Amino acid sequence: MTIRALPQISSSRNGLGAFVLQCKTMNLYYCDWAGSSKGMNGFIKSLFPKFAAANPQIEFTVSPRPSKHPVIVANYINGREKAICVRNMEPYEILKKIELLRDASGEKVRKVTKPVTSINESVRGVWSPYHGNGLRV
Amino acid sequence: MKRLRVDRWTSQLLVARPGAAASTPVSALRSAAVSRAAAVRHRSTAAAPQPLQEDDYFDGTDHPRFPPLESIPPRSISLPSPLPERALQSAKLAALHARLSLSPNVPLQTLARALVDASADANPEFNNTNLAFVGRTLINYHVAEMLMVRYPRLPMEILFGAMKGYAGPVSLHQVARSWGVEHAAAPGGEVDPGLLQFSLSKKGDAITGMGYKRAELEGIKKFKWRHGISSRVVFDNEFGEVVEDDEHDVEQLRARRDTEYGNQYTRALAQQAYSTAAWAVVGAIYTHCGREAAKNFIRAHVLSRTLDLSKLFVFKRPTRELSMLCAREEFELPVARLLSETGRLSRTPVFVVGIFSGKDKLGEAAAPSLEQARNKAAMNTLKAWYLYSPGEQARVPSDMLVDDAKPWEPAHIDMGEVISW
Repeated sequence: MTIRALPQISSSRNGLGAFVLQCKTMNLYYCDWAGSSKGMNGFIKSLFPKFAAANPQIEFTVSPRPSKHPVIVANYINGREKAICVRNMEPYEILKKIELLRDASGEKVRKVTKPVTSINESVRGVWSPYHGNGLRV
Repeated sequence: MKRLRVDRWTSQLLVARPGAAASTPVSALRSAAVSRAAAVRHRSTAAAPQPLQEDDYFDGTDHPRFPPLESIPPRSISLPSPLPERALQSAKLAALHARLSLSPNVPLQTLARALVDASADANPEFNNTNLAFVGRTLINYHVAEMLMVRYPRLPMEILFGAMKGYAGPVSLHQVARSWGVEHAAAPGGEVDPGLLQFSLSKKGDAITGMGYKRAELEGIKKFKWRHGISSRVVFDNEFGEVVEDDEHDVEQLRARRDTEYGNQYTRALAQQAYSTAAWAVVGAIYTHCGREAAKNFIRAHVLSRTLDLSKLFVFKRPTRELSMLCAREEFELPVARLLSETGRLSRTPVFVVGIFSGKDKLGEAAAPSLEQARNKAAMNTLKAWYLYSPGEQARVPSDMLVDDAKPWEPAHIDMGEVISW
């Protein structure tokens, strides 16, 4: 046999066939007593049920954390977690924060310098000095 | 005179100690709760109801210190896998169901069953073996069909390699991970049904593999006996790999299991369990929603992944194979011509060589030596031939199974790869 196959694994392209939301679980922590949790308690009572019903892909837990600031901790499919402290925030500010955590991919926040990031090869190809008419010096 | 309470004696004997549960056979455990209820009913004089036995609800934790979040049914800890009705209370399972956008026709109980590996629960009525077998055949079918229609000239070796790249256990392990499936540290009746359950201490004995064990397996392994591609189609598994029992090094690795954190053996078990779960989810969709839903799911989660087939090829004698190909297709004999070059006498020369058949250029490549450039150009030419594709939109045979399908237009069928030696 002159042809052999190298072992290769196909790579995933989330969103091309199916889209899987990258946020897996969210843990909401509140304190019953402390003033910094006032907005969080209001959020859990008023806005949170609707938000949780609209996002069934995410597993939510709500737990007390007495004498501490309220926190939202999100876990992602890539194994990372992101936490946002929501002390002294109003319920609608907290809703913004929880939406930010839901929409995040879980990757580290990096500066994007290129307009396009792709796993596909460039359509134009890599420039070659041996093709074309060349440059007359 | 104080009355002897015989019923108390028997009930004392019937209460199972938590430690003793492990040695009880599985079938006995499943019916243990029933038999206990029956024993209570047979009492002749039940003066006062017995206080609830702590042992029945024992779930391995210290309840006064750590009150349970969920009330686990009695004797759950003695079961090998969680009870099906607990699937309805699992938040993880509901989230997974929504994350995969599964139809409401797929019940949570079936999804929970798809996450129980045969190594966790040996009972095929509670583990995912049967679902996985259905799912595996479906995934293999759709991947093979897609590859054959989209790349009709692929050599058999490459076809097997591409099959493994899309539908192999490594790939499906990644698919299941990308669904956010997590695994329990150890299987048992008390774990959340939304976690993948498999045992690291033993292998499931369920047969989910395909292919036959060859009689000449020892010779193939020891002396590398030739086993041709046709016999691989018949005897070997769906990826053309020889079926063998991988028990030789396992004993040593198993012994190291407790002393080190994860080794080759445990990783292989985890990979196997994850890929089996991915198969089983497809099997569950097929069972409850039918053929089209399963096909759409496979297309969305398996076929949508990307694999660069040109990176699979390894050629041994590309120039000879190319001349055989040209002879077979009645092209003019291929000739390698130097298109351009630079720095022939320098440390880094570059030669661009093209392969021509008559006036047609079949391929070209650049390399630092003439010989290499010619070989690379021949490889590029062969890849260009083998990777011919009628396009991404080519219809596959299973498209004809829907009721209002347009008439079938015959797909391209190639005469096959070049036979050379």
